[in-house]
Amino acid sequence: MANLKDQYAIVGAGLTKFGKIFDKSPVGFTLEGIKLAVEDAGLSRDDIDGLLVAMPAMMGEEHAWAARIGALLELPLTFSYTMDMGGATPVAMVQTAALAIAAGLCKTVVCAYGHSENPQGAAFAIPNLEFTMPYGDIGATALQAHIARRHMHEFGTRSEQLGQVAVAFRHNACLNPDAQMFSKGPITLADHQQSRWVVEPLRLLDCCVQTCGGGAVVVTSAERAQDLKHPPVLISGMGQSHSAEIIEPWPGKTGHRGGIPAGRMCFEMAGMKPKDMDVIQIYDGFTILVITSLENYGFCPIGEGGPFAEDGKLKVGGALPCCTAGGLLSEGHLMGMGHVVEGVRQLRRQCKERQVKDAEICFVTGYGGAPHTYPVTLCYSTLILRRP
Amino acid sequence: MSEWEKFLPKPTEDTEPYWDYCRKQELRMQKCKGCGLVRFPPSVICPRCWSLGHEWVKLSGRGKVWSWVIFHQAFYPGYADDVPYNTAIIELEEGPRLHANVIGCRNEEIYIEMPVEVAFEKVDDEVTLPKFRPVLS
Repeated sequence: MANLKDQYAIVGAGLTKFGKIFDKSPVGFTLEGIKLAVEDAGLSRDDIDGLLVAMPAMMGEEHAWAARIGALLELPLTFSYTMDMGGATPVAMVQTAALAIAAGLCKTVVCAYGHSENPQGAAFAIPNLEFTMPYGDIGATALQAHIARRHMHEFGTRSEQLGQVAVAFRHNACLNPDAQMFSKGPITLADHQQSRWVVEPLRLLDCCVQTCGGGAVVVTSAERAQDLKHPPVLISGMGQSHSAEIIEPWPGKTGHRGGIPAGRMCFEMAGMKPKDMDVIQIYDGFTILVITSLENYGFCPIGEGGPFAEDGKLKVGGALPCCTAGGLLSEGHLMGMGHVVEGVRQLRRQCKERQVKDAEICFVTGYGGAPHTYPVTLCYSTLILRRP
Repeated sequence: MSEWEKFLPKPTEDTEPYWDYCRKQELRMQKCKGCGLVRFPPSVICPRCWSLGHEWVKLSGRGKVWSWVIFHQAFYPGYADDVPYNTAIIELEEGPRLHANVIGCRNEEIYIEMPVEVAFEKVDDEVTLPKFRPVLS
C-alpha cells in the first residue's frame, strides 16, 4: 500500500444542518450533503465520475441506492457502489475512492451519507436476529454494555472513567456552535453519574445522540488537488479489519479482533506511530468504545484505556484532542462522516475556537456492522490524514 | 400484555434443527466431524476447518455467566413490562457462547463466572427458548 501513501486527497467536505430536524428524507439529506461537499471543493457536476453512498438503515431491497442518488444529481458516473459497513462506512468510502481512482476507474469520487430518524414512507425491516432478540437483547447499546461489563471485570475500569470521555467530548461540542448538544452546555462527571441507566452498566450520557443529517467528502488525486480551492488533505494511511466477536474486542489468541489489524495497517502505511498524531477522531457511539479503541489502536496498553482517558487529555487543549467537534456523543450521530469532515477541517485550520493549534496529522476511525447477528460481526476502518 | 408480543426466532434452513431440539427440551449444537469443534451459531460449515460434516451433539447444559447487563429501558413495546430485565452471555462447558436470560434469581445476584444450567421456557407449541438458572451448590 506504500504506493498509495499521500497520492490521494480529500478536497471537499460538507455537512448539512443536522440534529432533530425532520424536514428531509435520507435521500434529501444525502443530496444536500453532496452539493455542499462538491461546492466546497470548487468542483461542479461534470467533475464527479465516482459516487459511493452509505447504505441507510431503511434501504432493504432498494438496490442501486448509490446510483439512484447519482441519477438525482445527473452525475456522469463510471464508478458507483452502495457501501454497507454501518458506522465504518464513511472512512471505508474514502479508502475505496482512493483505490478506484488508483485503478483508473474514475478521477473524482464523492462519498456521501444521509440519515433520518423515522423517515416518512420507509418501512424499517426488523431483522431476524433469532439468537438475541427473543431474549430482549436488542440494539448497539446492549453490545457495548456487555463490552463495558467485561472491561470492568477484566481490567477494573470504572463508570467514572467512561464518564470522563462524555465530559471531554461535551466540552469539545461546546466549542462547536453546529453541535447538537452545543445549546445544552457542558456536563460534569456528577451529571454523568446521575444520568439514568439505559442498559446497565451504561448510562444515558454514555450513549450517543440520535441525529437526522447528511454529509459528504470529495476524493481525488493529490496532483489534481493542487489546483483546487482548499489546501488538500492527503490520505497517508488506511486500514480495515473485520471480525466476529462474542463480546471480546481485545486481542485474544489471534490478535485479529477489535480493529487491531486496521490500526496496524494504517500506521505502517503512513510510517507513523500513534504518538505522532496531533488530533484524533475516534468513532464514539458509546464511551466504552472510545476506551477500547484507544487501546486497540495503540494509544495506550490493552486494559489501560480507563485511566488513560480519565485525565482530560481528550479535550481540545489536552494532550490528545479527540472528537474535537463533539463526536457522536455530543456533536451528533453523523454515522462517522462527521469524524472525517472534522479531520479535514482541523487540518485546514478552519475550526476556530476548537482548532487544535498547528494540527498536521489526524487519525480517524470508523466502527460498525451487525452487533446482534450471530456471530456478532464488526467492521473497523481507519485513516491517517495529513496536511502537506 | 401477552408474553409474546416479543420477538420470536424465525429459524432458517440452517438453524432449524437447533430450535427443533429446544422444543424437545434438548440443548444440542453442531460438532464438527473434521476437527471436533462445537460451534454456534448453527452453520453449514465449520468456521475453523471448513468441514461440511457435523453431528448434533447433546450438551451438558452447564456453563458460566460470561457477561450480563440490565435493560432499564424497553427498545420495543413487547419488553416494557419486563423492565428492568437482564440479558446475559453464557459460556457453555463445551466452549460456545450464547445470549440468554438468567432466570430464577434477582438481577442483583448475577455475577460474572456464576455457574448456571439450561432451563427451557416453552413459549408456544412452536418455540421453546433455552434460558439459564443458577446452579444451586
